[in-house]
Amino acid sequence: MFGALAVAGIVHGLIIGLTALAVTMAFGIARFPNAAAGDTMTAGAYAAVSVHAATGSLVSATAAAVAASAAVSLAGYLLIFRRLAGRSLAAHLVAAIGFAFIIRAVLGLMFGHQQRVFFLPLGWPIEILGLRVPPLDLALVVVAAISLGFVFALLHGTAIGREMRAVADDPDLARAFGISPDRIMIALWLVAGAACGVAGMMLGVKTVVTPEMGWDALLSAFAAAILGGIGSAPGAVGAGLVLGLAQELSSPFVGFTYKIALAFIVLLAVLLFRPRGLFGQRDAVR
Amino acid sequence: MILAAVEEINSAGGVLGRRMEVFAEDSQTNPQAAVLAAKKLLEVNRVRAILGTWSSGVSLAVIPLTNEANAILMNTSGAPALSVPPANAKGLSFRFQATNDRFGRAFAEIAQREGFRRPATMAFNNASGIGNTEGFRRAWAAKGFANGEHVIYEPNQPSYRAELLRVLATRPDVIVMGSFLPDTTIILREWYQMGVPVRWIIPAWAANPQLVQALGPAVTEGIIAVDTVSNEGSPAFARYDAAYRRAMNQPGTANVYAAMAWDMAVTLALAIERARSFDTFAIRDAIRLVANPPGEAVSSFAEGKARLAAGQEIDYQGASSVLDFDEFGDVTPDFGVFRIERGEINRKYVVKI
Repeated sequence: MFGALAVAGIVHGLIIGLTALAVTMAFGIARFPNAAAGDTMTAGAYAAVSVHAATGSLVSATAAAVAASAAVSLAGYLLIFRRLAGRSLAAHLVAAIGFAFIIRAVLGLMFGHQQRVFFLPLGWPIEILGLRVPPLDLALVVVAAISLGFVFALLHGTAIGREMRAVADDPDLARAFGISPDRIMIALWLVAGAACGVAGMMLGVKTVVTPEMGWDALLSAFAAAILGGIGSAPGAVGAGLVLGLAQELSSPFVGFTYKIALAFIVLLAVLLFRPRGLFGQRDAVR
Repeated sequence: MILAAVEEINSAGGVLGRRMEVFAEDSQTNPQAAVLAAKKLLEVNRVRAILGTWSSGVSLAVIPLTNEANAILMNTSGAPALSVPPANAKGLSFRFQATNDRFGRAFAEIAQREGFRRPATMAFNNASGIGNTEGFRRAWAAKGFANGEHVIYEPNQPSYRAELLRVLATRPDVIVMGSFLPDTTIILREWYQMGVPVRWIIPAWAANPQLVQALGPAVTEGIIAVDTVSNEGSPAFARYDAAYRRAMNQPGTANVYAAMAWDMAVTLALAIERARSFDTFAIRDAIRLVANPPGEAVSSFAEGKARLAAGQEIDYQGASSVLDFDEFGDVTPDFGVFRIERGEINRKYVVKI
């Protein structure tokens, strides 16, 4: 039984982790909590479900989700956040909430409020190391792993990734070294959006696509970003997995109603006893 | 159908010589949006009654506003809490759909008739979902049978595997649901991938054509869907049916809630005629006088108005049900039992409770 729950927890955790990755990158580099991350996810989910209905291919659907969410995310930067540069964190946060509302309303107008679903062939579970894993879950885990691989390769293996991490570490020093903030910001919002897109596609496949789905998922993403240590990309993914697994594995003990609360009890404990998060460096919280 | 019924009422001379006017707002089946809409209707348009709130969440959110404004609320929601104080402290709420508790009783009748022995229950954690399964468990126990595992689950979860594992571990022969469309979609998809056979009894607002479309015929095969059925064969239903066909180009049987909405407008108009007053509480008291026995059976506003003018008592026999309100403002419609077969939702029989 715990094996089956762990599989569900890993898939759930990857969804949370990918969104948390977007949140934590935005916090580390743009320095505000991006409340529009959830609705960026929703945009990706709608793009994926539409493309999947037309092509039947999960790969094309993922590509569409990545493209749509990255575009929405970049639009948010170019139209809103760039103009707010230098303003207070509260101004950014309120603007992000407003942007989230706009995305949700536009999606509601375009697609209506009826649920949409991915039509995927449902297969019986396959045995992997004695675990009964639904094939669909396996496919999603592979997609998430490839996406995470791309993001980390970009952050650690490319010049722009190094520059992004430099800005996250010390923006003034980075500017002194001639790193253009605008280029970094565009890269940041594209990558963060793409991560949201994959998460949105996965959540859409696992559940149903509605305009509210991303907003509903935002709280756990914030929890994971904080738990993982604000600004830490591996931390966000790790914390997402911890939260997903904790929720699923705890339900035989705490019941189904309180498993959601459990994530936040973990979060509370971290904030009280280890405010820099599980993976955060001492100076990561500014 | 409220608009169509009001058109018929106004073309029959209106109520007490005045035309009824309808202001429409969209609740979006969302309590927050519904509260804003209700505030606007009550404070800006100064409406005297709100008709047609559908989901329990919406009705429970709107009823404090209608009570405060001394306005009548006519709803089609299931939550048992709408019957009693504090929600219905002023008795101004009238429900045209069966309560979730009555749905639960119908589920028990059906489970017995279908020969199930080991029913488990799963409920969405809200008043309506739990109302369904509680109603079922009470009625099932009253029949002298033992209830199985009971799980209450939360909305918006990417996985319901833990919940399903708990229920399926007890080897039930049927799972009775108090659920809605999105969660039912996710739960059935997950269940099918677990490969454990079991039958399902699900309210028809969740087990509907959209569910079949979302999951396909293989997953939904054999699901028993339960809904109230309209008062088919009644003269009032024939009138509603004609109006529905004109408006929607579909038979009136396609939407039980449309028949309820039609009855709301007719009942309200007849009650105003009977009350000979626009006072909310006089209208409230007149609703039972025109809808319940004793009285001459009538099937339309024009017919009822004429009989009232002649000094007779009337008993409106509605399009949705015979429409007799109990002390809580609730009615008892009949229930249709449907089975999903190769992607088609086919009506099998009717159950009375």
